[in-house]
Amino acid sequence: MNRLDARELWEYTLTQVELSISPANFNTWFRDSSIVKIEEGIVYVGVPSQFFRDWYLKKFNMLLLKIIRGVSHEYRNIEYMIVKDDRRRPPKESRHKPQQTVEMPLDEFYINKSDGLNPRYTFDTFVVGSFNELAHTAAQAALKRPGIMYNPLFIYGDTGRGKTHLIQAIGNQFKKLYPGRKVFYLTSETFGQDYTNSIQAGNTNRFKEKYRQYDLLIMDDIQFFAKKDKTQEELFHLFNALYDNNKQILFSSDRAPAAIPDIADRLRGRFAAGMSIDIGEPDTESRMAIVRKKAASHGVYLSDEVIEHIATSISGSIRELEGVINSVVCHTQVKGVPPDLAEVRHSLRSFARPQKTVSVKHVVSKVAEFYGIDEESIYEKTRRREVVRPRQVIMYILREDFSVSYPTIGSKLGGRDHTTVIHSCEKVKREVLVDPDLAKEIQDIRSLLV
Amino acid sequence: MIITLDKKEFSEGVQSVARFAEKRSGTLPVLAGIAIIAGDDGIKLRATNLETGVDLKIEGTIKSDGVVALPAATLRDIASSLSGSGTLTLEHSGDTVLVSTGNGRSTLKTLAFEDFPTLPLPESPRAKFELPGSLLKALVMSVVSYASTSTVRPELASVLIAGEGSALKAVATDSFRLAEKKVSLSSSIAAFSMLIPAKNAIDIMQTLPDETIEIAVDEHQCAFYWKKGVLTTRLVTANYPDYTQIIPKSFVSEATVLKKDFEAALKRTAIFSDTFQKVRLGFDAGSKAVALSAQNADVGDSAESIPAAISGDAVELSFNHRYLSAPISTIAAESISLSASGIGRAMVMRGSGDTSFLYLVMPMNQ
Repeated sequence: MNRLDARELWEYTLTQVELSISPANFNTWFRDSSIVKIEEGIVYVGVPSQFFRDWYLKKFNMLLLKIIRGVSHEYRNIEYMIVKDDRRRPPKESRHKPQQTVEMPLDEFYINKSDGLNPRYTFDTFVVGSFNELAHTAAQAALKRPGIMYNPLFIYGDTGRGKTHLIQAIGNQFKKLYPGRKVFYLTSETFGQDYTNSIQAGNTNRFKEKYRQYDLLIMDDIQFFAKKDKTQEELFHLFNALYDNNKQILFSSDRAPAAIPDIADRLRGRFAAGMSIDIGEPDTESRMAIVRKKAASHGVYLSDEVIEHIATSISGSIRELEGVINSVVCHTQVKGVPPDLAEVRHSLRSFARPQKTVSVKHVVSKVAEFYGIDEESIYEKTRRREVVRPRQVIMYILREDFSVSYPTIGSKLGGRDHTTVIHSCEKVKREVLVDPDLAKEIQDIRSLLV
Repeated sequence: MIITLDKKEFSEGVQSVARFAEKRSGTLPVLAGIAIIAGDDGIKLRATNLETGVDLKIEGTIKSDGVVALPAATLRDIASSLSGSGTLTLEHSGDTVLVSTGNGRSTLKTLAFEDFPTLPLPESPRAKFELPGSLLKALVMSVVSYASTSTVRPELASVLIAGEGSALKAVATDSFRLAEKKVSLSSSIAAFSMLIPAKNAIDIMQTLPDETIEIAVDEHQCAFYWKKGVLTTRLVTANYPDYTQIIPKSFVSEATVLKKDFEAALKRTAIFSDTFQKVRLGFDAGSKAVALSAQNADVGDSAESIPAAISGDAVELSFNHRYLSAPISTIAAESISLSASGIGRAMVMRGSGDTSFLYLVMPMNQ
């Protein structure tokens, strides 16, 4: 005797029914039915209307009886009842009420249409470490007094450091804290596109009105505004309108406001006017915490040495870290046990990033081209100003981006002493921090080298 | 099965029955078909989409009995292509039907009749009454367009039909506006109420004849019988909101305007409404006029006033102009009364001296 609950019994029944009737029949007659209750051996099947009840009685009654009696002889009979419309609907309905989305079982790909936020990103799943502690604290402070504390809040950091997670979490938390206020999340690309469309459709006023109504506006990947002058201007006006009304604005970018190339100065100044915070590279401990948390969220518990290995061998982007965790989770689901250190080590090989190789000559020619000087002069022992600066920049880039050793750099660039190279690198490093023009130049050169 | 039908009779029958065949794909193929049943009680056409169903008798001679299901779309195409008078013969053999008209012959593939559902009829009706079909059609058609088009709340996507004594009423609302129409019957009926899905109601009302029909209602199903056929529909079993609560009992301002004035002014002003289709309506007792105005940043603005008999305070409300113009065609009277119950509260529109039709519309946020 095997008693199942109503849902399991119905699922079992459906699998059996599916075998004995045509798919079209099955889809038409069984899609909206369910077992409502089981009482004293009588199974009550809920159907949408009398059309269904009559047809069940005529066609499927014997089949269903046979199936459920096969499960248990306790089930004596089947009764069909027409379920009320309001009982049948709730799962569909909940999706139409945006305020419920926060409590909803979160669907990975579900994005709330009205505010663009993905409810998957919350503070609960956000791992705080020394690398992003400051950003996290600033986010909390901004949430407490939106529009006043840090406005705008500008969060920047390399790709895969959790910028989007953080700013979306702010949006989701804001919705929870202030149910009446309006949040909107969008990427700078969406904004630009929306603006272009509004020009095409000739309703730029509506475009302006649309964005001015929000209490919290979140704009992701602001660096893509580079060179889009008209869109920048529109953003500038929007920014002023929101800022003057004490509406909180949130930006993210992959570089500091000062280092975004080709962006109007008045906009650059405004980006930096509130609080700009850098999310750095996660340290090993933080990465371990992230690995542990992400794996646990999939129900996989890894040994400490495996966690440590993953955290140390994948550097930089958290997104890559997630990729590794996903493959570990997949491995666990297939084999039933979490992988051990040897297996992880093996599978990590495929994730290892190819070493960046660089020819010094390539860098030199690109930089020389950028500054419009003769390539040969870089190698010469000249101290003319227009050559010295590019040479230092080359050294800096070779050192910072490609980790070429100081003596190698020195010998390749016309046999200079390694201390000269160190001095040049340090000098550029210092100046980048205070001189936005230089920072921009270097950024532009980097984009040339990719 | 071999039957012979008059072409015109066949065309009309198919056209009205085909409306009830399933149009969506992915369901049971036979639901997209029309069943032709030739038996002791004549020839019947039957179609259902599991929401509504129809059984229609058509005139013809039966040479041999039988049943067959044929695709509705094809039958409809055939029906609309028939020309001239004369007869048409359907002959069923194996899995094809031979259609012969005069000197044309075509064969049609059949659908599996054994999958064709039965039409459910109310088993133990709670209410059963007769009324002229024309009356019922007028009743339902004057409100059905105000039902909600979204299926999120099935009760709002339905038309409420309720009766008690000799009064019968139909109500529909989409939560922005509400329409109620009442008619009186010649005989008295037991109290009942039912919710017909608005989509089904439209199909049914377009098919019902003007002659006397009998209505039978039980909890889940409603059927309309007349001498040539029967229509049946599923009912919505959710609770209908207590709409009488929303109808204002007292008004702060009441205006009576000529229908043609109001209609024309609204049409002109609506040109200047913004993307939210907003039109402002001002009641001004002092100048004995109702002012209409609208402005659109891209187009311009417009204001005009129409003479009115006004009592009460001055009040200004904004509305979606479509919601204001929608009921005008339903109102038969020469003049319309507009009764406002205050800022942010519902306004009632009626034909002057006509208590049978009430239209209530919610203003927009200012």
